[in-house]
Amino acid sequence: MAATTATPQGSVRQRNVAGSSKKTKDGVSSDVEVDKVANSKVVKSVPAAAAGSERDYKIVMFFVTALAFLTRFWGISHPNEVVFDEVHFGKFASYYLEKTYFFDVHPPFGKLLFAFMGWLVGYDGHFHFENIGDSYIANKVPYVAFRSLPAILGALTVSVVYLIMWESGYSLPACLIAASLVLLDNAHIGQTRLILLDATLVFAMACSLLCYIKFYKLRHEPFSRKWWKWLVLTGFALSCDISTKYVGLFAFITIGSAVVIDLWDLLDIKRPGGALSLPDFGKHFAARAFGLIILPFIFYLFWFQVHFAILTRSGPGDDFMTPEFQETLSDNVMLANAITIDYYDTITLRHKETKTYLHSHPDRYPLRYDDGRVSSQGQQVTGYPYNDTNNYWQVLPADDDPKLGRHVRNHELVRLRHLVTDTILLSHDVASPYYPTNQEFTTATITDAKGDRAADTLFEIRIDSGKPNQEFKSISGHFKLIHNPSKVAMWTHTTPLPDWAHKQQEINGNKQLAPASNVWFVEDIPSLLEDDPRRAKVERKVKTLPFLRKWFELQRSMFWHNNQLTSSHPYASYPYQWPFLLRGVSFWTQNDTRQQIYFLGNPIGWWIASSVLAIYAGIILADQFSLRRGVDALDHRSRSRLYNSTGFFFLAWATHYFPFYVMGRQLFLHHYLPAHLASALVTGALVEFVFSADSVEHEAAYQAIKAGKKPVAAKRHLTARERFAGQSMLGSWVAALVIFTLTFAGWYFFLPLTYGYPGLTIEQVLRRKWLGYDLHFAK
Amino acid sequence: MARSGSAKPSASRAPPSPTPPVAVITKPNTKAPKRKEDYTSDGVEDNDVFLLPGSDFQVLIAVTILAAIVRLYRIYQPTSVVFDEVHFGGFASKYIKGKFFMDVHPPLAKLLITLFGWLAGFDGNFDFKEIGKDYLEPGVPYVAMRLFPALCGIFLAPTMFLTLKATGCRTFTATLGAGLIIFENGLLTQARLILLDSPLMIATAFTALAFTSFTNQHELGPTKAFQPSWWFWLVMTGLGLGMTVSIKWVGLFTIAWVGSLTLVQLWVLLGDYKNVTIRILAKHFMARLFCLIVIPLTFYMAMFGIHFLCLTNPGEGDGFMSSEFQSTLNSKGMQDVPADVLMGSRVTIRHVNTQGGYLHSHPLMYPTGSKQQQITLYPHKDENNIWLLENQTQPLDIHGEPINGTTAWFNLPEPPYITNGAVLRLYHQPTHRRLHSHDVRPPITEADWQNEVSAYGYEGFDGDANDFFRVEIIKKKSKSGVAQERLRTIDTKFRLVHIMTGCVLFSHKVKLPDWASEQQEVTCAKGGTLPNSLWYIESNEHPQLGEDAEKVNYANPGFFGKFWELQKVMWKTNAGLTESHAWDSRPPSWPILRRGINFWGKQHRQIYLMGNPLVWWSATAAVLVYVLFKGLAVLRWQRSCNDYANTTFKRFDYEIGTSVLGWALHYFPFYLMQRQLFLHHYFPALYFAIIAFCQFYDFITARISVIGLKDKPIINKLGATGFLVLSMVVFVLFAPLAYGGAWTKTECNRVKLFSTWDWDCNTFLDSVSSTPPESIPPRNLPERI
Repeated sequence: MAATTATPQGSVRQRNVAGSSKKTKDGVSSDVEVDKVANSKVVKSVPAAAAGSERDYKIVMFFVTALAFLTRFWGISHPNEVVFDEVHFGKFASYYLEKTYFFDVHPPFGKLLFAFMGWLVGYDGHFHFENIGDSYIANKVPYVAFRSLPAILGALTVSVVYLIMWESGYSLPACLIAASLVLLDNAHIGQTRLILLDATLVFAMACSLLCYIKFYKLRHEPFSRKWWKWLVLTGFALSCDISTKYVGLFAFITIGSAVVIDLWDLLDIKRPGGALSLPDFGKHFAARAFGLIILPFIFYLFWFQVHFAILTRSGPGDDFMTPEFQETLSDNVMLANAITIDYYDTITLRHKETKTYLHSHPDRYPLRYDDGRVSSQGQQVTGYPYNDTNNYWQVLPADDDPKLGRHVRNHELVRLRHLVTDTILLSHDVASPYYPTNQEFTTATITDAKGDRAADTLFEIRIDSGKPNQEFKSISGHFKLIHNPSKVAMWTHTTPLPDWAHKQQEINGNKQLAPASNVWFVEDIPSLLEDDPRRAKVERKVKTLPFLRKWFELQRSMFWHNNQLTSSHPYASYPYQWPFLLRGVSFWTQNDTRQQIYFLGNPIGWWIASSVLAIYAGIILADQFSLRRGVDALDHRSRSRLYNSTGFFFLAWATHYFPFYVMGRQLFLHHYLPAHLASALVTGALVEFVFSADSVEHEAAYQAIKAGKKPVAAKRHLTARERFAGQSMLGSWVAALVIFTLTFAGWYFFLPLTYGYPGLTIEQVLRRKWLGYDLHFAK
Repeated sequence: MARSGSAKPSASRAPPSPTPPVAVITKPNTKAPKRKEDYTSDGVEDNDVFLLPGSDFQVLIAVTILAAIVRLYRIYQPTSVVFDEVHFGGFASKYIKGKFFMDVHPPLAKLLITLFGWLAGFDGNFDFKEIGKDYLEPGVPYVAMRLFPALCGIFLAPTMFLTLKATGCRTFTATLGAGLIIFENGLLTQARLILLDSPLMIATAFTALAFTSFTNQHELGPTKAFQPSWWFWLVMTGLGLGMTVSIKWVGLFTIAWVGSLTLVQLWVLLGDYKNVTIRILAKHFMARLFCLIVIPLTFYMAMFGIHFLCLTNPGEGDGFMSSEFQSTLNSKGMQDVPADVLMGSRVTIRHVNTQGGYLHSHPLMYPTGSKQQQITLYPHKDENNIWLLENQTQPLDIHGEPINGTTAWFNLPEPPYITNGAVLRLYHQPTHRRLHSHDVRPPITEADWQNEVSAYGYEGFDGDANDFFRVEIIKKKSKSGVAQERLRTIDTKFRLVHIMTGCVLFSHKVKLPDWASEQQEVTCAKGGTLPNSLWYIESNEHPQLGEDAEKVNYANPGFFGKFWELQKVMWKTNAGLTESHAWDSRPPSWPILRRGINFWGKQHRQIYLMGNPLVWWSATAAVLVYVLFKGLAVLRWQRSCNDYANTTFKRFDYEIGTSVLGWALHYFPFYLMQRQLFLHHYFPALYFAIIAFCQFYDFITARISVIGLKDKPIINKLGATGFLVLSMVVFVLFAPLAYGGAWTKTECNRVKLFSTWDWDCNTFLDSVSSTPPESIPPRNLPERI
């Protein structure tokens, strides 16, 4: 480089110089020419060695995988009672097996896998995992089968980590370091031995990285069969990731950023493979959009289709859905009790969100409120939570037709008569007690209502997502009551009115018609006697709804409830605490045996990984600064790997970590697991960078290419063995062994907290309280 | 570089380096004749505003006068408290009275409002308690107080003029920019009332002017570096940042803008290793560090210094602050108290985490649960806060017989210290009951893990086992030394563990209803968080501790302690403003001007914060067009289309990019905020968007030679005048909403183009027959912070 730094801008744009490292993220050296040159030299000289080199990788991989299964499965039947969030996910599996409808904020894939496991071993789902500490033995639950699913996935995650490093062309010690950081990590082990979703999530995330690397390595044969295969598999892994939990979105960001950078380079007119024409570029773009966006979305929808297909019976999740949706579930209570409402029926109206009844009583609004505004002094209309005759309203037709037995239908105009005071509900352009923007609700005498206030007493029944002319039914008919002349919706909120209204709820007219908080339903028809024929229950047929409508409704409900999850939890933590492993989560305790499961990473492993991340950032910064000053301290290939391959891992870490800072909901340590996996990859890669350097030959070859020589050779990737041919790997091996030993020691020391066995004495617990971990039985 | 150098041999123009636009300004000159070998940007002229010709200053004065007329027109109306004048007027009277208050905004603008009021003779005896309260009768100098925001609003126009001149725009373009500011209804509305937004705008604008001028000096290369003008504008930028952030915390966005552009400049300097040696680089770096960080920080802290100097008396804001903080306020300070707490001490016990006050009991019963006597937290000093600490057992006299009565510990031979783990009974002397807890749910927090705490017993009653509490000293929170071993006043923080049930005396920010005078609830919690179960002793009295006993008092937090504590409280309060508000809006609705804010309404008159749609939408369009342009330019750059070889293209990209960056940094961060937001939060972003719009106009009509308008200056002048007249017309159409002037229903409905513009046309009369404004209470009373 020294010769090439004639002008400042050259060194500035070092990474843009053709053939330089700008060629995207992936595990393999990206420079075609260099590969070619190197191959032409190396392949000829050491073909036998290259072939043989793979064998030691395979042996190590076999041992790592075996150890992974051993660490995950050891003592998996302990504890034999419900632990922590098994309460939820075990319950959902039971619901699937019983086919009863339930509601949860997570997408269905991970839960479906558990249900599948239960189905395989012939479990019928009779146990509902009600409380932490319920015995599995007494309730005859095949919990080991359930737990073995995450354990298998957790063990395979280790192999995938190993494969990622291998595929990316790292040396054996580097692969071993990355794999062992995950293999011997107490957090990964702890989370994958219980009926939880994170094993699926982490496994899918690791697979998506692996598939993308495979795909990227095939970039010189675009649109080949293999190329498509890995593209589709990447999409599938991504889809499994996001179909397990929505944090799987971060993997899309990781892969998405890499793809954008890749496409950006394809667009470069000076790219090494020759400029792509715009139609060719369009093909590349479309293929990726299809494989990484459209296909995953279809898979994602597919799991919902399975979800709906299984859950056909009414269950605990009914209340979260609209009446139309509930009509698709068999033996639904709500529909069985729905009665068609006729004119002149007396009804009670209830607010869906706050469960308050529409109420009125002879008291009047005070003339002047505390803030000095004036009211109409009309009769109060309030919300009242208890059953009372003051909640009775009679439905009158707008045209005063006295005919009985006429059904009320959607969009019809009605008047509501308050039975006890014999007045008619009315709204008008007077500000409500609390909301200057909303209209006051009051009542008018019959004479006024027939006279000059006639228009103001008309209300439209607008059934939520109802069809024109649809019959208005009690219970199932969710509707909005729209004041006809002013188009405001009857609405209420929970702040109680002052003493003058007996602390009852304010009812007012909301100008925003859309919000779901405007929805009311008719709870009962008191004017109908118990034995009235209209109350007779007829056998109802289960209806169907188009899939997309069901999905859309469920999806909206899931997001809404996800946003409500902001309450605090005693073991919640903040993102900044995770890389330092400042605290864990208490999963389970047993007083008699002094056993406990405390979810915590392997502190030694985490601190190594986190400090390596800092070192990596430091190296990149130092390199950028020195380049800017015209000093080039790195050889070409090292920089390429540092930026592209290791950079990809670092990107994965960053995109799985930093988004948590802007999330408002409660967070736990296990949210860091995918990021931790990425940090293990960075650690392996960086140890190799520090302890071994590329040979001078490559650099010479590279300079030769830059000078304009056209290389000739097949396109093939170098294995690590070829790259480090003739070099001493001693440093790397020593580093790998030191890290492995340290991690092993940390794993062994914290093992009783992870496996819940054996119980610890006070002194032993105190010895493990490294950073004030809030362990139990410390006294 | 070697490659790119050889790629285009014999070119008279050096090849554009494939640098992303960030580095545009760094490019060595592309024109061969005047090739520079340093970091000077090409196509830049010295636009220092001190070098402007006299004619420009005449325009400047004319613009200022016009702005003054438009801003000051009938500024005395309305003659009563409007909208948030409730807050900011109220703060002025508290400053004058010196009563401590807490507000989420830093003090600078409020201090200046106070200064104006004080100079005009305001004595602080008007409380601005509610909207619509009359100013005239009590003789409040409200016009003087409104004059300060108005002056800020007036100076905004000339500042815009100078900023545009500093970016190199033509005089007519600069006048256009100033005119758009003058005729922007929203800026006008804010500038006529006692609000903080107008001062914030002028501070932001001043910073933009200073930094634009500084950038200009910087881009002129090494010859200008460290010259007087360079230094002057750098220091002014620092001062401007200090002012902006001392008015509202949105000034942090301005800091982000200046900061990111400064990083770009330093990166450029770093790359020029021919001319900028490490020594010069360090000098550049230190100069910026000093001016852009040290100066603003010092300024900001100085403002709080003045704030603390003014507010020396206790006031409404006390409750937010710690006891140490409060003890620095007049009359809140406390006499030194004996340090050692003994058995038999009469003490007051204070809750650490909330400012609920002292452990308190009074002869009123719980209406629920056990119906025993209430225990609460009470914030004021009172006889009922005093508890006598008794040992679990009565002491023995020299004969081995127990000494009975609550005074048993007063004359023991050895001072009976209370060590960690001691079991106590807390005796409430005024009512002769003891602190008591049992397995009954508390009145409000009816959770399973909460037990009720009551006062139980009668005079002479020996008490029962449910009166026992164990003292557990929390060493981490206590002062090191003796205070960690035994109970000491103030220095020891402890928990009181109820022996029988194992729960811990606990309190949290939950108010009891009327029957307990809305005092704070006290419970006994089994899994309560540590901070909420911590207590300490504030006053302590014992016959054995005479005048010569060791005394303690609150540690004085000092200025930095107070400053830092106040910052934290402000941050927490600010983040807590999440309730929805009738007139709040979310960021996506701002650039399209979806709705405004109703400020004030008296019969037939209304003040409604509404922008000038023409100005607003043009500015948004300018930003949009730039974003499109940028996207295309980046694509073309990757395809090596060589656009950046053109100096004008480069300057267009960089100069407008700077303004659009300012817009983005003052706009997008709001998306991350969960608190209630209002249209007026968009004003700083709007200011930058208007700059971008004017720069666009200038480039198209006067700088880009391809279009051909460059040679016809008349087009520039005509267009500017035309657009200005047009925006003036729009301004006049909406003006009654800004001035609170007379209007008719028809006129109102005519300009109400969208239903989301939700001012109420029905408040106006059918015709402007002069109905004198009556003092009927306004209908809309939104409260805004």
